[in-house]
Amino acid sequence: MDYDPMVMDDAEALGPVVKISQADSVRVKYELSNADLSFANSLRRVMLAEIPTIAIDLVEIEENSSVLADEFISHRLGLIPLNAEGIDSLLYARDCDCDGCCEHCSVRLTLHAKCTGEENMHVFARDLVPTGDRINQVLGTPIVSDAEGLGPLILKLRPGQEIKLECIAKKGIAKEHAKWAPSAAIGFEYDPHNKLRHTDYWYESDPKAEWPPSEYAAWEEPPQEGEPFDYDAVPNRFYFNVESAGALPPDVIVSEGIKVIQQKLAGLIHELAEEGGDGMNGDYNGPRSPEYGTGADGFGGYTTPFGNAGNQSSWGGAGGTTPYGTTPYGAGQSSWS
Amino acid sequence: MPRAKAKKEEPVEAGSDVDMEEAPTSHQPENTDDMSVDQDDNDEEEGFEEDEEDEEDDVQRVRLLPGSTPTAASFEFLNEGHTLGNALRYIIMKNPDVEFCAYAIPHPSEAKMNVRIQTFEGTTAIQALQKGLQDLQELCDIVTDKFIDARERYAATTSS
Repeated sequence: MDYDPMVMDDAEALGPVVKISQADSVRVKYELSNADLSFANSLRRVMLAEIPTIAIDLVEIEENSSVLADEFISHRLGLIPLNAEGIDSLLYARDCDCDGCCEHCSVRLTLHAKCTGEENMHVFARDLVPTGDRINQVLGTPIVSDAEGLGPLILKLRPGQEIKLECIAKKGIAKEHAKWAPSAAIGFEYDPHNKLRHTDYWYESDPKAEWPPSEYAAWEEPPQEGEPFDYDAVPNRFYFNVESAGALPPDVIVSEGIKVIQQKLAGLIHELAEEGGDGMNGDYNGPRSPEYGTGADGFGGYTTPFGNAGNQSSWGGAGGTTPYGTTPYGAGQSSWS
Repeated sequence: MPRAKAKKEEPVEAGSDVDMEEAPTSHQPENTDDMSVDQDDNDEEEGFEEDEEDEEDDVQRVRLLPGSTPTAASFEFLNEGHTLGNALRYIIMKNPDVEFCAYAIPHPSEAKMNVRIQTFEGTTAIQALQKGLQDLQELCDIVTDKFIDARERYAATTSS
């Protein structure tokens, strides 16, 4: 950013800082500092709901003599985490040229189990077998992370019962359905001592005694006794705890999240450049921005809230866009006539 | 029936209401045939996806609202929300040439986000918006770099 550092706080001029405090195959805990709450929250929201992953979306049941209903099993299958490595090269089914689904936009999995023994049989995610061509050898494989190598339990079969089905897994985002969420949970926290008073603690007699301190309380200076409230203070350090559901490693969730924001922005920049900044529709009757006279927009003056005639420019004598000139009320000097 | 057919040949404007007579045909998912009865609850999702696709293909996602002037403009973003709105508002407000910037989601059941930008003389609201988008991209680049750095440093400290 090429803004004058003088207008920023000293700390902010240094730019954002990332510190990782814990990382393993299921979670990454990190601190983002010298950033704004709005950006940190964008990152949180994007990691939660907008990172593409793959999940079972269609189920064709051939045989189901289990006690569970078809749609119940379909729902359970949808929620099984599938490996999303290489999801970038998978197309959204809606963007694919094929009719329905093909290997470029979906992964097929089959499940066939019959209980032939004397005891009840457990059907696990590992029994879901990817079939047909795939973009790579791991995309769409059920995640199995337990020690026994079984994966999530799908259903149980009594002796003689059988389940046979075919699933089609598609690419999607958690904004559409939570089954596409890459993260199991995202911890997001700032200001552990509540110095900014963004939180109002409920308490019986003493909030300090009743509320346990945050795990990050030691990272920040506790407030001094009798310290006056700093109403100019803004949150500056954000503590993330990104826990993966297994589809993507936690660090990839973070970098993919930022990538999704950038793709959003790139799309908008592209569109703005394409339309040359003139996106006005002549026959548009939707919401309007606040009016002040009739400017260069060619809009009839009869639509202004105060009914001033369309022949006066808001630029003449009104002081342009001074704080008082751009309000809906203070357009021309003769607004009221 | 012939009446309904004649109607069908007329070009239907995108986004306009569909006649009741046409509803049965146009609202059926196109690929009903190759889906068995035992499908997941995807009929609705399919329909939703197709709508969204149409929107992305035909409709511009950023629109300058009427009543705007070069230095004071409101923009309407389709299919955006607080995720983009708040970060964009912050980064545009950081621009010293910008007098005012705010965003709003006028109604929660419409996927629309409005941004108001007022600039000082010398730049335009559209330029401020473009600069804001680019600055936010740069911020993302920096945070990505910092995160990758931190990850490598963490990996180095834990392995050694």
